[in-house]
Amino acid sequence: MKLIIDRIAGHKKMFFTAMFFLLIETFADLMQPTFMARVVDEGVKNKDVGRIILYGAVMLGIAAAGAAGAVLRNLFASRTSQTIGKELRADLYGKVLELSFENIDRLQPSSIVTRITNDVTQMQNFINGSMRIMLKAPATCIGAIALIIAQTPRQFPVMAAILCVSAALIAANMRLGYPRFARLQKRLDRLNDVSREFLSSVRVVKAFNAEEKEEHKFAAAAEGFADAGIAATRVLAVFSPLINLTVNMGIIVLLWLYDARDAGRIGRLMASVNYMTQVLFALGMVSNILNNAVRAAASSERVREILEEAPAQKKAASPLKPDIRGEITFKNVSFAYAGSSKTALENISFFARAGETIGIIGPTGSGKTTLVNLVPRFYDAASGSVLVDGFGVNDMEPETLRGAIAVVPQKALLFTGTIRENLLWGDGGASEESMRAAARLACADEFVDSFPDGYDTVLGQGGVNLSGGQKQRLSIARAILRKPKIMILDDCTSALDASTEAAVLRGLRAVSEHSGMTVLLISQRISTVMRADRILCLEDGRLLGFGTHAELMRDCPVYQAIYESQIGGGKLG
Amino acid sequence: MDSSRFAPPPDRHFGRPGGGMGGMGLQRGQPGERPKNMKGTLLRLWRLTEGHRKGLGWIMLLSVLASASSVLSPLIIGRAINAIDSGGYALKIILLMLAIYLGDWLVRFMQQFSMASISQKIILHIRMALFSAMKKLPLAFFDRRQHGELMSRLTNDVDNISSTISDSLSQLLVFTFTILGILGIMLFLSPALTCVALAMVILIFILTKAVTKRTGRLFKAQQAALGRLNGQIEESVSGLSVVKAFCREGEMLKQFEEKNRELCEVATRALIVSGFLMPITNVINNLGYMSIAVVSGIMAAEGLISVGLISSFLLYSRQFSRPFVEIANIYNNFQTAVAGAERIFEILDEAPEPEDGPDALPLEAPRGRIEFENVSFGYSKGKPVLEGFSLSVPEGTRVAIVGPTGAGKTTIINLLTRFYDVDSGRILLDGRDLREYRLRDLRRAFGAVLQDASLFDASVRENIAYGRQDAPFEQVRAAAATAGADSFIRRLPDGYDTVLSQGGAALSQGERQLLTIARAVLVDAPILILDEATSSVDTMTERRIRLAMLEMTKGRTSFIIAHRLSTIRDSDLIVFIRDGRIAEKGSHDELMELNGLYAEMYKTQSGMGE
Repeated sequence: MKLIIDRIAGHKKMFFTAMFFLLIETFADLMQPTFMARVVDEGVKNKDVGRIILYGAVMLGIAAAGAAGAVLRNLFASRTSQTIGKELRADLYGKVLELSFENIDRLQPSSIVTRITNDVTQMQNFINGSMRIMLKAPATCIGAIALIIAQTPRQFPVMAAILCVSAALIAANMRLGYPRFARLQKRLDRLNDVSREFLSSVRVVKAFNAEEKEEHKFAAAAEGFADAGIAATRVLAVFSPLINLTVNMGIIVLLWLYDARDAGRIGRLMASVNYMTQVLFALGMVSNILNNAVRAAASSERVREILEEAPAQKKAASPLKPDIRGEITFKNVSFAYAGSSKTALENISFFARAGETIGIIGPTGSGKTTLVNLVPRFYDAASGSVLVDGFGVNDMEPETLRGAIAVVPQKALLFTGTIRENLLWGDGGASEESMRAAARLACADEFVDSFPDGYDTVLGQGGVNLSGGQKQRLSIARAILRKPKIMILDDCTSALDASTEAAVLRGLRAVSEHSGMTVLLISQRISTVMRADRILCLEDGRLLGFGTHAELMRDCPVYQAIYESQIGGGKLG
Repeated sequence: MDSSRFAPPPDRHFGRPGGGMGGMGLQRGQPGERPKNMKGTLLRLWRLTEGHRKGLGWIMLLSVLASASSVLSPLIIGRAINAIDSGGYALKIILLMLAIYLGDWLVRFMQQFSMASISQKIILHIRMALFSAMKKLPLAFFDRRQHGELMSRLTNDVDNISSTISDSLSQLLVFTFTILGILGIMLFLSPALTCVALAMVILIFILTKAVTKRTGRLFKAQQAALGRLNGQIEESVSGLSVVKAFCREGEMLKQFEEKNRELCEVATRALIVSGFLMPITNVINNLGYMSIAVVSGIMAAEGLISVGLISSFLLYSRQFSRPFVEIANIYNNFQTAVAGAERIFEILDEAPEPEDGPDALPLEAPRGRIEFENVSFGYSKGKPVLEGFSLSVPEGTRVAIVGPTGAGKTTIINLLTRFYDVDSGRILLDGRDLREYRLRDLRRAFGAVLQDASLFDASVRENIAYGRQDAPFEQVRAAAATAGADSFIRRLPDGYDTVLSQGGAALSQGERQLLTIARAVLVDAPILILDEATSSVDTMTERRIRLAMLEMTKGRTSFIIAHRLSTIRDSDLIVFIRDGRIAEKGSHDELMELNGLYAEMYKTQSGMGE
């Protein structure tokens, strides 16, 4: 809630203008009965048609003013809520781009997306809709009651009593309702979790004949949700009729207390009754926005979490911008993912000359990807230092560092747009020829040319219309086009068949020999890394061997074991 | 994006709990989806309320009673005013009012109180019906659809249906009753003033129509802009590493701001136009109030009507227009809910996995002889994955299925377990077609270790016992020991009672695999299916997995989709599949001798040749 208020404060002028017009709108509604009272007391009682018409004209004028107020309120309020929504989205998006992967892992990508989209919308709707009710309702109540008292000052104690009782009822309603609606929201999350789990494991469920078990689990979540729903709505069921009753009692008391002293003021009595119905309507709205308030509060909490996430990486005070040749040094580097007690890398040291191809092998979870992610500073080492050309990566301008590095991730990530646009991510100013050359080296030219639109083929979100192998080859071409000094290939040929993989690797070797770029080549397959200049062999985050294939076969038992398991004679103990 | 279905308008369904996952929310005047077959769907919905009809009838009755008080009270207030105005004592009328208000309180309380539980019970009923239908659907159904979309049917659509339909139904009833009641009383009191009130309603009606006509287009444009923006958000979050690696943050931000601005513009316009409805209604209400005050004032001044009647009419004029304004919106929501109901019925109507016929055979102790006879199969028409596939596997054979990605290896497993049924040809188990056996028995005959090591948010013990929930702890432990998982499980903080979260995210890939193997071991099935994970695990674990696999496949027919050369060499029969056909089959030595595709693959992978 604090975030919502803060954001509104950022648009004070617009917001208060909107509120000002809201007050005009409310005031116009409130003035109608007052003049109606005059119509009756002065016009009807004196049989003065002229007066009746005169007051009618005044009422018409007030209605028009109210209409103008409402239209302007609508303009300003809509503009305010949408602008706040836009700014929140932009701030969140900008923040997410700035965050390091440590932050992103913690917040979880799918949750980040919902926060930027759904949660912001919830807040926006709340600002536009519910705030109006929250402000208009009290204004109407207080105004109406003040006017009743103005008409018949003797009613003051009764009105005050009614106001107090309804305020108490509303407070109690909120007090009891809020936690119940909050619990309902939690139960809804649980229901969603259970459904998601079922849907994503449906194959296992069927293979093990476990449909009934899943049904019980789902039933428990659905029942929990239903119970919470009943509990929450019952609070409203108790309080909203009570609030109605209180205001209706007010009408009775008004009529009851009218006596001879008020003679000739029957119109005012009528006006008071009308005011009470206005109060009734306004109070009805307030107790009903509870659910929205709960959701908006939850949403704003989730949004705030991103905005207040402290970036895990510090910027260097005076970042260096050297010309990078491509030497990589790891000095006693250790690393652990946040929230995990296990170290992902432990005391790793090695040195790669510029232009060298370093193979990295080791089982899943041994720290291969973690290791290469430290080079472009996706994560910061916990201790020790990662150096490129002798400069610490943390001291360099990130653009300079990353500008010299090309990464081909395990999962080929392409973006909405044409194939050409995707490739030009590597180098926006590349010529048509060099783009095609890069595609050719990655063995992507043939299939691209086979598309009717060639390089202008539009890819759907995430490149959905391509096969896994095609995406991998485009992702490699994009990296080649970048003409990097350091190329990181993270097991990026897994979807290619053996002969295409061999051709792609030949292409890459040609590039590296020609341009002298350093290559970090991760693979699960020993046959892929065997031909690298030197090979890092990792297990459980520890460096078990570093050397040529022949050296490792001689000195490194784990490397031998991998070789044995994938290629060798493979006798089991 | 999950929220392709949108939650109900947050602004309008005040007293309603939950309401789905919170999408963009329909706004006032936003056109709802149109149902395809309103009448048929409603009829089916009615059938779903079986067992709750008495409760629903009770709620309807209470709603009508509650609206009776709002119809009557202005009339009585008018009477009271008249009595007071003529200097009389209004005690009797005031007591009557007191009675009406207390009655109103009681009726409203009962109505809302019972509504809370009845509508939740109907929701629960529909939701469970939906889930029960879903769990019986064949795998093809789940493979074809996005999970997010199915999820929103289980949550949003169900909530929408029951609450909107029971809300709207009672509201429609109340409004019809209110309108007719008020109209009757007004006509009885003064036909002339009734005309004034009616004129206002007609005016509101016309203007509302004019506004909604314009908003339809704007809301569509808003949805489109929103879709584009959400697309970019998703894409850049999931591809963030590439965005950062290529230093594209600035470019992405620029694109985002453009789309964000577009959305803001069109959304503001839509909101403003639709937001006109409220002020317009309000103005006309005030206009009506004023007209009635003036006309009735003049009439009263002429002595045609009493002062109390003015009061009654003023109160009625406010109440009269509201149902007219609301009805259009209710109808809109109603349509959205019915469209949601249609999506639910669509699932209920999907053909479930075929029920076992009356003569389906039990399968007690299968021996495990498997034959594929000329099997053809494709996931979609005209795109066969397997073609003329024939293979005979004697019982107790260890079969390795090898071949490039997309060759149809997983399909063989899908057909064996009858996740899918063959298009032509047949698969025999112990000499009989798979389809002749009871499905549950058939599935029990297979122990499966599937590639996606799906674990559940439950304790380690429950996860291992997933296929045999009644298994005593010693057996669970023995299965874990066979799978080589016992030692690491005992090192977990709570041992076998350690609760896994997020599908076992805290475990390593290898540990997860060992658990899924233990799960299959415990089932003790005569035939095994192992989809070897493409990624390797650390050498110790890998050795363990290999030993566990050898141990559990001993004497059992087993199908292994193999990636490691070591696993492949461990098998009795290697089947090399390419383009949905068997290219080569035989033992390792035979195939090496043949010097064909298998030999080439083996050599490339083992680095024996270029």
